Amino acid sequence: MVTVDATERPTGSAPRPRRRGIQETRGYRVFQVVNGIILTLVVVVTLYPFVNIVARSLSDEAYIIAGQVNLVPRGFTLDTYQFLMSDPLFWTNYRNTVFYTVTATVISIVMTTCYAYVLSKKQLKGRSALVGIAVFTMFFTGGLIPNYVLVTSLGLKNSVWAIALPNAINVFNLLVMKAFFESLPTELEEAAAVDGLNTYGILLRIVLPLSKAIVATMVLFYAVAFWNSWFAAFLYMDRQELWPVTVYLRNLIAGATGAENVGSITEANEVQAEATLKAVTIVLTTLPILLVYPFVQRYFVRGIMLGAVKG
Amino acid sequence: MFRRSWRHAAAAAAVLLALGSVTACGDDSSDSEDLSENRAGAMENYAVGTQFKATEPLSFSVLYNNHPNYPLKEDWLFWTELQSRTNVSLEKVSVPLSDYNQKRSLLIGAGDAPLLIPKTYPPDVHAYVSSGAILPVSDYLDLMPNLKDKIEKWNLKPEIDTLRQQDGKFYLLPGLHEKPWHEYSLAVRTDILEELNLEVPKTWDDVYTMLKAMKAAHPDVYPFSDRFSQPNPAGNLLNMLAVSHGLAGAGWNFQHVTWNAQAQQFEYTAATEHYRHMLEYLNKLVAEKLLDPESFTQTDDLARQKLANGKSFVISSNAQTLVNDYRPDLAATNPKAKITKIPLPVGPAGEINPASRLENGMMISSKARESKNFVAMMQFVDWLWYSDEGQEFAKWGVEGTTFVRDAAGKPTLAPDVDMIGLNPGAPKHLQKDFGFGNGVFSYGGKPELVQGFFSPEEQEFQQVMNARAPKSPPPPYPLSDEEREQVSLWETPLKDHVYQATLQFILGQRDFAQWDAYVAELKSKSMDAYLETVNGAYKRFQENN
Repeated sequence: MVTVDATERPTGSAPRPRRRGIQETRGYRVFQVVNGIILTLVVVVTLYPFVNIVARSLSDEAYIIAGQVNLVPRGFTLDTYQFLMSDPLFWTNYRNTVFYTVTATVISIVMTTCYAYVLSKKQLKGRSALVGIAVFTMFFTGGLIPNYVLVTSLGLKNSVWAIALPNAINVFNLLVMKAFFESLPTELEEAAAVDGLNTYGILLRIVLPLSKAIVATMVLFYAVAFWNSWFAAFLYMDRQELWPVTVYLRNLIAGATGAENVGSITEANEVQAEATLKAVTIVLTTLPILLVYPFVQRYFVRGIMLGAVKG
Repeated sequence: MFRRSWRHAAAAAAVLLALGSVTACGDDSSDSEDLSENRAGAMENYAVGTQFKATEPLSFSVLYNNHPNYPLKEDWLFWTELQSRTNVSLEKVSVPLSDYNQKRSLLIGAGDAPLLIPKTYPPDVHAYVSSGAILPVSDYLDLMPNLKDKIEKWNLKPEIDTLRQQDGKFYLLPGLHEKPWHEYSLAVRTDILEELNLEVPKTWDDVYTMLKAMKAAHPDVYPFSDRFSQPNPAGNLLNMLAVSHGLAGAGWNFQHVTWNAQAQQFEYTAATEHYRHMLEYLNKLVAEKLLDPESFTQTDDLARQKLANGKSFVISSNAQTLVNDYRPDLAATNPKAKITKIPLPVGPAGEINPASRLENGMMISSKARESKNFVAMMQFVDWLWYSDEGQEFAKWGVEGTTFVRDAAGKPTLAPDVDMIGLNPGAPKHLQKDFGFGNGVFSYGGKPELVQGFFSPEEQEFQQVMNARAPKSPPPPYPLSDEEREQVSLWETPLKDHVYQATLQFILGQRDFAQWDAYVAELKSKSMDAYLETVNGAYKRFQENN
């Protein structure tokens, strides 16, 4: 967006003071305007679907079906929200999602940090083998059933560990973090060692405080992934009170749209208007994670850049 | 990691196959004759009309398809009453309905499946047969008197034969209907019919005449704009026309082969003259702008919008879409509009009811055979799913609590119990609060039972359909594993080509003069080899059985 700095606005009829630094040529100003227009368009294009979804979630089904809901809700109603929120299972599952996300993210951050930090040490023997093991899993997988058998026979089924442990380390995140740690000057750590810190002290008191950006980025990556995930929970949770809200809502939509209903004429007032239901689902599941973004965003850009410069 | 989970999902089927072949080697078949070790808890004199009650408390694991409209509750009357009547409790492995089939494949593949695996459709069974993980239930029908009785009384043997695998056995206990139950037809705006002084069309030719008259009165609309085109074009429309032409099915019920009773052999459905005839019919509708060409690609929502906004008057429908979609949509946009589901239009095959009398049913894990309670379990399954008493219990519940009988003995809901809006405002719900009428335990049966909750309008539709002759099922042609693998390699290119050509012919992009060329193209895609395999399997089965 084009922002005009108030302090640089010419006052009265006095000649405009020359700016220091980059000279603002005509071409540059044109660029700024064009840039602003393009970016505004990008904002509109990205924001529109979301506003539309929110409008749909608050609209009466009939208007959605008639294709009349755009940016403003028509036939304002909170029925679908009320329906969803009056179900105790929804709240149980929502609590599960929060619990799973927090637990799994904490575990992931600890494990990924430890692994990445070790890998960033050039002098480590067998380092390339350790990297190889991690990278290997990016390309080859044991497959669904062996994974299931493994998790089940380890007794992890129906517990948070089934979600947190098998997905604890994301190799992509690991490599980004490793690159970040490699970019930290070794002199710092050497100095700390001279001052008497052991390895753990260096990691906890020198490296981690300098790595807030990357850790915040990773928290965001992991948290979003765990928040949205449903597959692991679907595989390993045999009781509905253990499902995360993603599975609950997925099932709800399938029930409202699916052919499974064939034969049972559901009452018209009860049938969850599927168009509204989808919209409400999207709003309810994305809202919390959306609220987290602004707080970590400033780390986000810096974090991923720092990791990316040095491969 | 998560992204790879998705890939896992895609690879699941392949992995299953691989694993299937591994477990097949480890399969030691137990002697099906000697059941003396497996009778713990079973009844001595269990027969039709006997209330099953295990002689000791038993518990069986069951894969439970958890429907979001009535989420599983442990305190349902269904569980307690079931236990007091049969002495059996069920351990539920709860699976969301949205991904039931995937979890079922996974559990069977991992050897972790519960003993009872309900809600399985007949074609899904093939994938598991060779793994040996599923019990050949046909060996144990003697333990199930009610099932045998119904097969005999309702003449279901030809239908049951279609379930048989190459070894002559079947692995699925299907849901049985005394009468076929056809649901899908066309919904038509009856106020437009009245306005134009038209009769409700009876045949497909009448449908054409009706559309023509609609177009004449409303030249700016496509009178017919259809839905159910995702993922394949005009799923319901193509199927309705195909079955009306005596073919096995098309569209969403795509069937490669159709049984030709005169020639006593299978033909390739999409290469028959009947198929050509139905494409010519659709081509005529499109050419005269009676059928919206977008019918074959548009989303359901778009088709609904067109109907709601008076841009079309005819659309595919079943009982629920009529009540839940079209009527509320139209009530919001045009309160004067009236819409109803017409009986399935009749085609060259005459007045037939094309629906099958089998529906989804239950597989039993082969682990069950080793259990000392095996016989009791089979008796339990027979009672709950196949006895009249069990079926009534699963659907209606407990007399005096959830339902009452009228003078003729016909069950009706108790006044304080609701189900599909039959008792609006009643404080309790048959499914949500009591666990009856549950799709896992209740399906099939006599027409009175099946239609118990139908609206009068739908009962009338069923009456018309049931007056028509049921379609006789094709003879079985069980394929061997190798044949099935080979055939599935031919199927995809054939099907793709049929879909493509079907649309080209209908939309007028290809002339019917090229029909022979089209059939030749199918031949180049191994159509003849396909038919040879199927007809060979048919003859082999006839000789061996």
